[in-house]
Amino acid sequence: VAYVGGYQGAPVSHLLDVMVQAKPYLAELGVHVEACANEASAAAMLGASIHYPLRGAVTWKSIVGTNVAADALSNLASPGVTGGALIVVGEDYGEGASVIQERTYAYALKSTLLLLDPRPDLGHMAQIVEEGFALSEASNMPAILQLRIRACHVRGSFVAKDNVAPPISAVHLLDDPADFDYSRLAHPPVTFRQEKLKSDERLPAARRAIVARRLNETFPGRRDDVGIILQGGLYNSTVGALQRLGLADAFGDAELPLLALNVTYPLVPEEIRDFCLGKRAVLVVEEGQPEFIEQDILATLRRHDVNTAIHGKDVLPKAGEYTVEVIARGLVEFLAGAAPDIALDAGRAWLEATARRRAAVTAALGAPLPPRPPSFCVGCPERPVFAALKLAQQELGPVHIAGDIGCHAFATFEPFSMGHSILGYGMSLASRAGVSPVMQRRTLAVMGDGGFWHNGLLTGVQSALFNRGDAVLVILKNGYTSATGTQEIISTPDDAQKDEALDKHESLVDRNRTIEDTLAGIGVQWLRTVNSYSVDRMRRTFKEAFTSDFRGLKVIIAEGECQLERGRRMKPWRAKLLKAGKRVVRVKYGVDEDTCSGDHSCIRLSGCPTLSVKPASDPLRVDPVATVLDGCVGCGLCGENAHAATLCPSFYRGEVIRNPNWRDRLAERLRRAAITLIQPA
Amino acid sequence: MTSATPLAVLIGALGGQGGGVLAEWLVETASNAGYAAQGTSIPGVAQRTGATTYYVEVFPAPLAALGGRRPVLGLYPVPGHVDLVVASELLEAVRIVESGMVNPERTTLIASTARALTTIEKMVPGDGRVDPTHLQDVARAQCRRLVAFDMDATARDAGAVGSAVLLGAIAASGVLPFARGDYEAVVRDSGVGGDASLRGFAGGFDALGADAPGADASARADAPRADAAPDIVALGAARLTDYQDARYADLYRERLAPVDDAERAIDPRQENRGALTRETARFLALWMAFDDVVRVASLKCRASRFARVRREVGAQEGDIVRIVDHFKPGLPELAGLLPPALATRLVAWERRRQVRGRAPLALPLHVRADSVSGFIALRALAALRRWRRRGARYAEEQRAIERWLAAVQDAAKSDWQVAFELAQCGRLIKGYGATNERGKRNLAHIVEHLADGTRFATPAAHATAIRQAREAALADDAGAALDAALARHGAPPRPIVPVPIRWQRRPQQRAAEAANER
Repeated sequence: VAYVGGYQGAPVSHLLDVMVQAKPYLAELGVHVEACANEASAAAMLGASIHYPLRGAVTWKSIVGTNVAADALSNLASPGVTGGALIVVGEDYGEGASVIQERTYAYALKSTLLLLDPRPDLGHMAQIVEEGFALSEASNMPAILQLRIRACHVRGSFVAKDNVAPPISAVHLLDDPADFDYSRLAHPPVTFRQEKLKSDERLPAARRAIVARRLNETFPGRRDDVGIILQGGLYNSTVGALQRLGLADAFGDAELPLLALNVTYPLVPEEIRDFCLGKRAVLVVEEGQPEFIEQDILATLRRHDVNTAIHGKDVLPKAGEYTVEVIARGLVEFLAGAAPDIALDAGRAWLEATARRRAAVTAALGAPLPPRPPSFCVGCPERPVFAALKLAQQELGPVHIAGDIGCHAFATFEPFSMGHSILGYGMSLASRAGVSPVMQRRTLAVMGDGGFWHNGLLTGVQSALFNRGDAVLVILKNGYTSATGTQEIISTPDDAQKDEALDKHESLVDRNRTIEDTLAGIGVQWLRTVNSYSVDRMRRTFKEAFTSDFRGLKVIIAEGECQLERGRRMKPWRAKLLKAGKRVVRVKYGVDEDTCSGDHSCIRLSGCPTLSVKPASDPLRVDPVATVLDGCVGCGLCGENAHAATLCPSFYRGEVIRNPNWRDRLAERLRRAAITLIQPA
Repeated sequence: MTSATPLAVLIGALGGQGGGVLAEWLVETASNAGYAAQGTSIPGVAQRTGATTYYVEVFPAPLAALGGRRPVLGLYPVPGHVDLVVASELLEAVRIVESGMVNPERTTLIASTARALTTIEKMVPGDGRVDPTHLQDVARAQCRRLVAFDMDATARDAGAVGSAVLLGAIAASGVLPFARGDYEAVVRDSGVGGDASLRGFAGGFDALGADAPGADASARADAPRADAAPDIVALGAARLTDYQDARYADLYRERLAPVDDAERAIDPRQENRGALTRETARFLALWMAFDDVVRVASLKCRASRFARVRREVGAQEGDIVRIVDHFKPGLPELAGLLPPALATRLVAWERRRQVRGRAPLALPLHVRADSVSGFIALRALAALRRWRRRGARYAEEQRAIERWLAAVQDAAKSDWQVAFELAQCGRLIKGYGATNERGKRNLAHIVEHLADGTRFATPAAHATAIRQAREAALADDAGAALDAALARHGAPPRPIVPVPIRWQRRPQQRAAEAANER
């Protein structure tokens, strides 16, 4: 592989992170690594494999990333590739899912891309990655390798191969560019021929290679009248379901034969025909909708005049994640019709007992358990912005809030419950363009700096300026794409600034002014930068933006560095100082219990995990009182809110000076001496 | 076709609690011991303090005994087929139980009794916490064995990360075929937390070790406290002596006496154990000791408070602790100390200011309570105590208190339960400034429209209506639930409070018109 790129997003964020961290090692091999600005730029990077025999791999989160990359993908797939091109995407329908549930499969179909869905065994997944490059080269088609979240985060072991340095690379350079060749442009009239090549040459070549390299796996069963065709990625769960029904052992030896499709597009009609031939019925286990594979199989069998009954979405759910239990329920229904001689009593009893237990627990609980969605971290600089927004709306009335992708989307949960729409990463400002003209009050768009650089600058800011849109945009400038794992972006404070900073807990995002300079350069005239934690100032700035006579785009930059990054910088620094016996000041907030009356307004303006409640120790009081837990990082929001919202005077800021110097000690002694004289117990 | 099946371990945690480290340790321990093992997780955005799970499968026989065959290990926990569920938080343990994963014949459940409250529980104006005893009962009924102990406390004592405690408990549970040393070696080699992690591991291990299978560690830890019900009247009188003086405490007793008499008359056999008088005493004391700047200043400068702050911020011997207090008294609060005539004029002037669009007048202060000047300022403010009786706020609070007490007394003449519900409405009085005003308005409205029982068919229906209105008032601060409850019982919704409204024309239009004029 000669080059690697991508854009971060769960569940494949770590893949790119590891590549970026491994840059020095990869450089030894001549492998170029690029952290791309967005998925479109990552897809376009694969253009290197059109002319040159370079293997390239990129990664992103699907379906959203594939949507962003779609333009480049079409234009890559049409001329086809010479060097193997592999796109690793994470697709996720389950508990951890954070985006809409659509199938990458549709892209493979429409753009004629290979789609790999490997059986989730570590060694096998590694092997399919290698095969994917070879298959891409054999067919000139770019390949997508699709992984589900649990496969992305699997921890186990496999035997690794040695690294192979690419023949052409950043170390072994090409002397000259390729000759001009119009047929490799995605430009009419050659696009007409390219479209023919897809079906006449590339797909057949791919099918030949799939068969020759035995990429799809058939697992024989003890009986041959019924069988299962499944996406490779669902193999372990399907075997798990068979095990629970008593139809397979721990090693996967099953009663029914299985055809695991590690390549889900294109299918090989002969493989499908041969598997189904002589079987009464076959179940297709295919996650997501529509059921592309099932339809393809039905058409194939009809064409080959094979009369095997095909079941799939008639017994399995159309939408959602296929867990072991979901597959087992589908299998029971399938087998009841297709192989009634198989005893399923034990399996049925298990499924019924599970349903009974759930109902019993729900009944015993009496009320639904409160959900626990993700939230802003302790000390997050974005939380205060929404506190200020809540206060500003109390004065101005509610405003339409266009939300975006990023940590700030946590404001849609309690206690803020804010945001009317989320149209995509960096799309907030663009998504209010049709709302602003019909709304009495100005609209607000929220955007992170990640979204700003990913897309928001062009689709949002440029469009609003060009169309003289009258709106307010707040950019949460925390310095990283934090929601995906605090990856660095062009406006991240650089390492030298971090090294120079005397206080490692200090926010450094103000040192990088790329966003401000860009906005000024593109023509934003109303621009305010406010420290995120200054709730009162932020509220006044919101008010000003919503009521100002200035007509046009008003941008507020809320400045405060991601607390995760500051924490990572601060912890080792503080530990080192403490070890050396040096003076360290730590801040923790607290609540004076005897003046807290247990109304919890402070919590409704914060939602900080360390601002909680506890039973009142005053025997007269019945309601729990507010308390600050040990994890408090002293961000100051409690105090700021108490002032901005005129809450109760219960909050105090405690500054603990460890290893105080002689000046601290002297001043403390004098203060104590004076205070003790007049202090009541 | 039965054969050995993998041992399944499901870990429930909050993002950032170290569940990932724990899953890694488990897989590592199994691999080092020569067993096939696999772990997975669904971090996504849940890693930001949301609920999440980690899943590990271990094949019960060593790889060497499998003759080269490799088991197919699953990525999903299967309901009823989980051997061990561990959860670092009680509600998350029950969430897993509700998902059906826990099987009464198979599953050992190790759960922390510690609660990390969800935002939804915390933000309720009253008490929104889920009952932890009930959670434990539900969990206990569903698993083969419940081991519940406060893992947070164990971790804190050891100075360790929570995942170390969990690993120790897993090791001691005996569900997985590994020796204590196997786990400890992995913790040591991982370098996470150093010796503290090993101490935490031992803490978790011992929490189960001391506990015979089938028993339940929490039963000892959570034994009901033996303290008897405190004497609320004595506490209230002491509170008010401290708040104002002995004369004020006498007034408190005088006010309670008729309620006590009425209760004795209607409940001569003390079937309710004097609950009406007790609850009235409770809320009367809290209300009479209403928080004003004088009270706050007095509480903030006490030596006991300085010591408590030191404890709460975790200061050690030799550390210096500085305290900054956040005060923001508004003009009405300061005016409350002035004689009524003057205060009324001042508040009216402030209202006119606000109508003109000015921000409310308030004094945002950061008082260094431990500095000499800050401390003297607090003491001076606290010394205004003797002026309190002449102030407007004092007069206003006493009037409202009398109205509420009269309603309670009145009701006690005809029905104990109605009086009891009205007495408990004293709970609505809390907070400062706007919060306090809202509470008083809600209470006044309930007293005015629900205290009269003629509208209700039975006294029981009457009591229910008052209870529901009170609970609704504590459910949300906007009052939507209260208005709905009032309407249900035929009472008018609360009157709309006049607030200054600034008319603001559509900014777009205004600018466009200005452009046309030009």
